[in-house]
Amino acid sequence: MKWFRTLKLTMNMWTVLSIIFVLLVLLPNLSIIVQFFSEPNENWLHIREYMLQQYIQNTLVLVLFVGFLTLVIGTSLAWIISAYDFPLRGFFQWGLILPLAIPPYIGAYTYHGILNYTGVIQTSLRNQFDMTVNQQYFNIMNMPGAIFILTIFLFPYVFTITKAFLARQSTALVENARILGSSSWRIYFKVVLPISRAAIIAGVSLVVLEVLNDYGVVSYYGIQTFTTAIFQTWFGMGDLQSAVKLAGTLMIIVLFLLVLERIFRGRRRYSFTTTKVKLLQPVKLEGKQKWLAFSYCSFIFLIAFLIPIAQLLHWATLTYKQFFSNEFWGLIWNSITVAFIAASMIVVIAVVISNFARLNRGMLAKTFPKVTILGYSIPGAVIAVGIVTFFTAIDRELFDFYEWLGLQPTLVISTSIFMLIFAYVIRYLAVGYNSIESGFDRIGTNFTEASRMLGMSVTKSFFKVDMKLIRGAIFGGFILAFIDIMKELPLTLILRPFNFDTLATKAYQYASDEMIHQAAIPSIIIVVVSAMAIYVFHHVLEKE
Amino acid sequence: MFVHIRELAFKYPNAKESTIKDFNLTIDQGEIISILGESGSGKSTILRLIAGLEMPTNGNIMVGDHCMCSNSSFIQPEKRGVGMVFQDYALFPHMTVEDNIKFGLQKWPRKDKKERIGEVLELVNLEDYRKRYPFELSGGQQQRVALARALAPKPKLLLFDEPFSNLDADLQIRIREELRRIIKATGVTSIFVTHDQDDSQALADRIVVLRKGAVAQIGTPSEVLGTDCSFDERLPVKPRILSRV
Ligand SMILES: Nc1ncnc2c1ncn2[C@@H]1O[C@H](COP(=O)(O)OP(=O)(O)OP(=O)(O)O)[C@@H](O)[C@H]1O
Ligand SMILES: [Mg+2]
Repeated sequence: MKWFRTLKLTMNMWTVLSIIFVLLVLLPNLSIIVQFFSEPNENWLHIREYMLQQYIQNTLVLVLFVGFLTLVIGTSLAWIISAYDFPLRGFFQWGLILPLAIPPYIGAYTYHGILNYTGVIQTSLRNQFDMTVNQQYFNIMNMPGAIFILTIFLFPYVFTITKAFLARQSTALVENARILGSSSWRIYFKVVLPISRAAIIAGVSLVVLEVLNDYGVVSYYGIQTFTTAIFQTWFGMGDLQSAVKLAGTLMIIVLFLLVLERIFRGRRRYSFTTTKVKLLQPVKLEGKQKWLAFSYCSFIFLIAFLIPIAQLLHWATLTYKQFFSNEFWGLIWNSITVAFIAASMIVVIAVVISNFARLNRGMLAKTFPKVTILGYSIPGAVIAVGIVTFFTAIDRELFDFYEWLGLQPTLVISTSIFMLIFAYVIRYLAVGYNSIESGFDRIGTNFTEASRMLGMSVTKSFFKVDMKLIRGAIFGGFILAFIDIMKELPLTLILRPFNFDTLATKAYQYASDEMIHQAAIPSIIIVVVSAMAIYVFHHVLEKE
Repeated sequence: MFVHIRELAFKYPNAKESTIKDFNLTIDQGEIISILGESGSGKSTILRLIAGLEMPTNGNIMVGDHCMCSNSSFIQPEKRGVGMVFQDYALFPHMTVEDNIKFGLQKWPRKDKKERIGEVLELVNLEDYRKRYPFELSGGQQQRVALARALAPKPKLLLFDEPFSNLDADLQIRIREELRRIIKATGVTSIFVTHDQDDSQALADRIVVLRKGAVAQIGTPSEVLGTDCSFDERLPVKPRILSRV
């Protein structure tokens, strides 16, 4: 009797919708797992024999180097900015997040354009100083180049998370160490790094996931990794089955890394307790030290933001006419529409699942939030493979169904924009979810309970009370998801319908076709929109 | 008997042992009951069970002639006709005083709504504050709005969770008297939870002493607190003097 009573009570709209949404997120991933174990074809045997090792090696080299370098740069910047005062510190606080606004693939061809034979550096050297340089030293299209690019455009993940942690949670320890007369280096290695371990690892794992997800940089620089391999076997060889195997292997690597992260992070989660926060007071630097700190921050800001932006702006002045073509406005329209639809769906799904999770106890309420994070950990190319196999399977069923109805049979879903939007939702659900969940965390369940005691159902309470109180978080989640989708490359390249281009795919195509100048304007639009969002989030909201 | 609670038991899913064990209580119509116990004894949990915000593992709760919950049925909190004043008041920050009070009257005809709002505001002496937002009110005023909001829909039973814990000592004493006046004026049956013996003594018709989730003693204030000097030993409640600090 009791379980029946419980079941009847928990089976409301929120639960049912949550279950449906979670299944939708899970199914494409399960689809990969199932097919991963299917009978291998000859091609796969060949890949496994001769190429897989290379893919794994390149991927690991990238992950290790970029992970380590972003750790060094991100944490050192975070420490300098949290603990010391020097010229322009206030600006660097959010200015050093701006490199995130430049998607690495855009950075990749921008730097190639700066450094190659016809680029600004070599032309200046030739024309001004009559110097011709050895091309070898200016070739960035190799492994070190890719590491460089991914590092300078991804380090802000480590920087922001560590900085937020240091500013709020380290005060007592650091001040004690200062009183005890420890030198600054000592504090950094003996206090800062150990206590912010969880935050640093969280930041580095975001970087690693981004590296695994990257397609633009590695394919442009001609480096064979898992993502490029998935593209090649699928589109180059037309072998979806082997692509699934590659995707499955990559998924296993990701899951392995996630487990590793759990172990390294230890029991302590990096949580920002909001009560009784005492902010770390920065120490004013003098003399040489002052300029050293300033130069370090400026240097990073220069190479990771200012130089590529200046170059893009310069190219844009050469190709500004593009701006007036219909085709270009079509791109903007496409980008905005898909991002808008997908981000709206993300917000709705995130609200339903997080509201369900916070108002219920038990297994489902505990596991569902974890599932929503899943997509963000899985590289875009893998999600794409999962979605395509999943939808073609559905389409085939529908195909028969249409025939049976006597209608003209077509492949509806697997060739439509619907698939792309669905993929965006899976991949970026976590972005919206985190924002909305933290909004719910802030207001707690008191208002909902008060509302129910006054005769409103859960659903009515949501619309009349909760939703109004977390408006900001909902909006924030929407914007973050919107921007991530606008920048997205691998999923869009694979899943877009025929002749459908977005700003991101077009910029990438121009660059791949050696029309770097033409890539500038779409790139700049992406960068400017992202930068504005970063400015609003970290500059305006942090002040509140 | 107006409220009838029998063999109530409850355990939080992640807790090791039951938070509430075999809790029994009957309350007459119009009576004011105080549940007194130290922190962690399960006072809030009892209120949440009566309100329907938690589902008991065992037991029945009857209010009036209606079964609120038994082992085979459970009425949702919004359908129980039970009002609650929360410890932190939980006034909706995005609504004015008037809208907060109107919130529980959604099914009432328009004219009655207006009348009722005027009535309860008068009762708590806040007629001039209709258009204010909660953050523009003092702690004591906020508490009275919370009371007015809970009273407005004419609940059969009114629950208070530590109604004075956010007020300073002076205000606490004044509001205590006023609260009793208001409750008695409306005739609503009430249960309030506190860890302060003075509160219980000043407000309640009967006191239920709760210890580790079970009833330790029930009786009138003089029976329970009275002149019995062995009381402080038996009851792990803060001594009177300390509770002022
Ligand atoms: N959500 C929860 N999950 C698990 N255990 C809980 C939860 N809420 C309360 N408890 C536990 O149940 C017991 C009773 O809690 P309750 O809040 O009812 O105590 P209380 O008497 O109201 O205390 P206080 O005077 O501090 O408000 C406590 O031991 C508490 O730790
Ligand atoms: Mg309590």
